[in-house]
Amino acid sequence: MRRIRSAIVSSVAIGFGLLTLVGLLLGENGGILYAVTNIFLQVAAITLAFSVVIGVINLFRVHGSRLARRKGGWFYSLVLLLSALTAITLIGLERMGYLGGRPSPSAQLLETAQISIESALGGLVLFALVYGAFRYMRNGISWSGVGFTAALLFFLLGALPLPQFQALAVVREWLLAVPVSAGARGILLGIALAITVAGVRVLIGQDRSYRE
Amino acid sequence: MDSTTQILTVLILLITMVLVVIITQFARRRRSLYVLRPLPAYRLIPTAIGESIEANRPVHISLGAAGLGGFETLTALAAAELAYQAASRAIIGGVSPIVTISDPTALPLAQDTLRRAAAARGLLKSGAARDARWYPAGSSGLAFAAALSGMLPDDRVAASILVGSFGTELALIAETSARRGQRLIAGTDTLQGQAVAYVMADAPLIGEEIYMAGAYLGDSAVQMAGAVVQDILRWLLILAIFVPTALAVGDAILNGRFSAALARLLGGG
Repeated sequence: MRRIRSAIVSSVAIGFGLLTLVGLLLGENGGILYAVTNIFLQVAAITLAFSVVIGVINLFRVHGSRLARRKGGWFYSLVLLLSALTAITLIGLERMGYLGGRPSPSAQLLETAQISIESALGGLVLFALVYGAFRYMRNGISWSGVGFTAALLFFLLGALPLPQFQALAVVREWLLAVPVSAGARGILLGIALAITVAGVRVLIGQDRSYRE
Repeated sequence: MDSTTQILTVLILLITMVLVVIITQFARRRRSLYVLRPLPAYRLIPTAIGESIEANRPVHISLGAAGLGGFETLTALAAAELAYQAASRAIIGGVSPIVTISDPTALPLAQDTLRRAAAARGLLKSGAARDARWYPAGSSGLAFAAALSGMLPDDRVAASILVGSFGTELALIAETSARRGQRLIAGTDTLQGQAVAYVMADAPLIGEEIYMAGAYLGDSAVQMAGAVVQDILRWLLILAIFVPTALAVGDAILNGRFSAALARLLGGG
């Protein structure tokens, strides 16, 4: 019974996947197939939109449970739940027309709270990165560590807008344009190949979710 | 999409499809046919999970911003495969692994991954492996990183496996892990995130390595075949880049006589 169910699920997934792929490849020349593909994509978008509701339920369940059990960090959970409830209430009142104005209260809340907090966190990233570079060498001196630190210092010095470092800036630009760019493209090509193989495996029903 | 791109896309997909089907059959018959090169991250994952089970502390697995329905769909599926492999090992301990995501579309995937991991160990009815959590990301992923930085000490996490879509905000999570002496294995599909992971993780997963979790941690022939096909395609790509480059360089040095000589050798001209 389980095998039959798995076979049916695989067939449906493979069928829909191939139809969508062909429809997207043919584009508007595909006629009815393109129209059907668009319907599939709209259905997928609507289904995925519901995941936000599942997410909100999950958020309340996880943090409500932490709060109820007074688990470590319960105060943060309380703040999170109160913030979520405030945001939902504000947006609800705006949609019902009880609150208005430009910018709207929810947008104001976003700009004054979230954006400023994220900006502060963005500043902290710099310190975390410096600590990471320090830690990398502290764990043991290796050729890759020395190369990493040398490259880091070289690029930082090359970015200084001082005439004394003009030569470094030229070398830095060449390094960025040729070896660094080539390395980055190599990594991206590798990712693209892996994605192609993973996509084909999904299309022909080899993904684990179809088999189990 | 113009017709040349269409033809090339179909060609690449067909070649990949044929290779996957053929090599899966070979891998099923002879599993020792292909030996994968060792990757430190995949060697460290079972060790880190073993240590967390001994310490009776949870393993944290995060998919980051990878979600379904966008460009990161396949990254999310690959990360879910790694999460499955890690969770199915960690779930035999007393503490359920924690899976976190910032894209809500990945929440059903994370829940299903935990469910399948529990089912694989016969622990589905025990209620283990229900700890999939959504932390909203905000505009840049920094809020998600901040949430994880708070969660890691609160939940006494022993090791974190961050595989999916992360940017430079990975540095904040890695810094918390380092301060708490927690092991960190990180891999992401963005170049900025990979640069951070390379420096700050105990074992980074670079480039396509995050898509090979099943081949390294699982024992399925299908997954192994995927890794082999990836390598074959890589060699084909190297040839496709190298041959025209060699021709262009040879012609530039020998004033066009290089390609003429090659054409004569192959029976043309």
